[in-house]
Amino acid sequence: MNRVGNVVRMQLVNKQTFIWVPLLVLGGTLAVTLLIWAMLPPEAVKYGGGAQAPMWYFFAVGIMGMTQTFPFSQAMSVTRREFFLGSLLTASLTSAILTAIFVIGGFIEKATNGWGVNGYFFYLDWIWSAGAVIAAAVILFMTMTFFVTGFAIATIYKRFGPTVLTIILVGLGLLLVGALWLIGRLNAWGQVFGWIVTQGPQGLAVGLLIALVALSGIGYGLLRRATP
Amino acid sequence: MIEEGKALFLQIAESVEDSIVDGSLPEQTQAPSTNELAAFYRINPATAAKGVTMLVDKGVLYKRRGIGMFVAPGARESLLAERRAAFRERYLTPLLAEARKLGLGTEDLAQLLREHAQTTTTEGTQ
Amino acid sequence: MTIPDAAGAHESVIEVTGLTKRYRDAVAVQDVSFSIRKDTIYGLLGRNGAGKTTVMSILTAQNFATSGEVRVFGEHPYENARVLRRMCFVRESQRYPDDAKPIHAFATAKLFFPNWDQDLADRLIADFRLPVRTRIKKLSRGQLSAVGVIIGLASRAEVTFFDEPYLGLDAVARQIFYDRLLEDYTEHPRTVILSSHLIDEVSNLIERVLVIDRGRIIMDAATDDVRDQATAIVGDAAAVDAFVAGREVLHRESLGRVASVTVAGALSAEERSRLTAAGLEIGPVSLQQLIVRTTQHADEADAAASDARITTKGGPR
Repeated sequence: MNRVGNVVRMQLVNKQTFIWVPLLVLGGTLAVTLLIWAMLPPEAVKYGGGAQAPMWYFFAVGIMGMTQTFPFSQAMSVTRREFFLGSLLTASLTSAILTAIFVIGGFIEKATNGWGVNGYFFYLDWIWSAGAVIAAAVILFMTMTFFVTGFAIATIYKRFGPTVLTIILVGLGLLLVGALWLIGRLNAWGQVFGWIVTQGPQGLAVGLLIALVALSGIGYGLLRRATP
Repeated sequence: MIEEGKALFLQIAESVEDSIVDGSLPEQTQAPSTNELAAFYRINPATAAKGVTMLVDKGVLYKRRGIGMFVAPGARESLLAERRAAFRERYLTPLLAEARKLGLGTEDLAQLLREHAQTTTTEGTQ
Repeated sequence: MTIPDAAGAHESVIEVTGLTKRYRDAVAVQDVSFSIRKDTIYGLLGRNGAGKTTVMSILTAQNFATSGEVRVFGEHPYENARVLRRMCFVRESQRYPDDAKPIHAFATAKLFFPNWDQDLADRLIADFRLPVRTRIKKLSRGQLSAVGVIIGLASRAEVTFFDEPYLGLDAVARQIFYDRLLEDYTEHPRTVILSSHLIDEVSNLIERVLVIDRGRIIMDAATDDVRDQATAIVGDAAAVDAFVAGREVLHRESLGRVASVTVAGALSAEERSRLTAAGLEIGPVSLQQLIVRTTQHADEADAAASDARITTKGGPR
């Protein structure tokens, strides 16, 4: 079995982190949402936001992967490249499982008219508007992006410390606020929304993929000089 | 057993020589192997090997291919001769120095020796 | 006296040349050069903060040199799986994944170390009475050390580093470690580098000594050769001082009229008889004492040299 494959096995040795907890988080959120819906009038169309919860958990997994598993992998004489690829692969596999659940959930919700109570947890119109495959791509890439972002942030923290990390995050935040202000200033909201709509979920999927690749590159680049 | 300040491999060699001299390791019998010595004294096998090599160079042990190290014929005699020669240096000089400190002259020492020899013989025969 | 060589020519597995590691405000390792011979047990000795862990981290590519060359099995270790899988370095403050248990750690080690011996690991687990299903973060310091020791020993890696492996281990457990290390080394010879500040405890295990002090190598020799480097002379203070006149004194202690003076070098047979005639004795110099005193001596010499520089420069004195 090759070494990258063994990194996957290493990450999965304790099944909690990558498998059980995300499933629990998802299951728990779904259960709570359904309970709440049961208490609301069935005709009103309800959308559950809880579906993001497992994605935020992947963000945490990305952080933990770097802060805890990386030092251990070094003791196991694993190279940084093997560690990165193996961790990415593990995240992909478990994201794929999560995505499959989402897609199946989406089909169920469509078929049952929102669990019979018009409640939509998995099936979000806009994301599904271009078909199940695009929806799956969006969910997969989004989950992976959460993971890789957590990983990159933890790597920055490890290499440069909390001050630099804060500066970077604040800087990014300022850029975002600046961009929003600029759009408002140019009265371009209409154009912006129009553009988003034309892109559709396919555009979102592509955008997420680009972000994913970029963040992976950054994460790997930072990892190459990280010490355990 | 293992004392500080003296090269470990020398101590190992000496302890093997001791057993040859006191007869517990007769000539032409197999000497303890390097690994056995290392395990017994809880030391690095390389150190034990150095001690054994020294004994081989000295002619006290010889190697039988495929079997191990054996005590060379005549080893006991040559060790005894070596130790007799060193006896004066090793035992007499410190003995005399201590005797001088205590104010014991040569005649006093001779007397002590004779008395001691008698008591040990009597004890020995009991 | 010539000391016979157990091995023939020495094959080296690690070559370090001019290694320097600088941090923003301090130099951790300063122009260090040495080579590590195959199948030899080394003691990497030095005080806390001397640079031992830094050196070992750089050799295993876990940390990076500022300058200098490192070659392991003739290659650069950085991102080199071919080389790294033949080495094992579990550091003293090793971090493990949250919620991991020793059994997970060993299962993982089994995946990555090609020579991993599960039987040996199981025997060691029993020897150290390690609770393998308790979370690592809940283990005592000694149990945590045991995990590292077991990984190091059972990995049977060709080059194995032990970074102060005994922290938290009681005397019994430490002896178990030394015994198992020697046993396994005898049956499966490999290169072992053991960092320690308990010099006397490990002195019988180590074939060669590397002493590092404030980032510099101050000793690189066979353990036996080092033992020869000093002698302690004990007895009446006046007689001792007379005897050691003209020799380099490493250390002097006295209690009343009795003095114990450690001098550099060994005594010849002639000197020994003079010593006995003078009513003096030779005291033991343990490896630890010798290295500690040599280190102190080097520190004092350093301080004196820098003082001299300040004085000659006409500085604030």
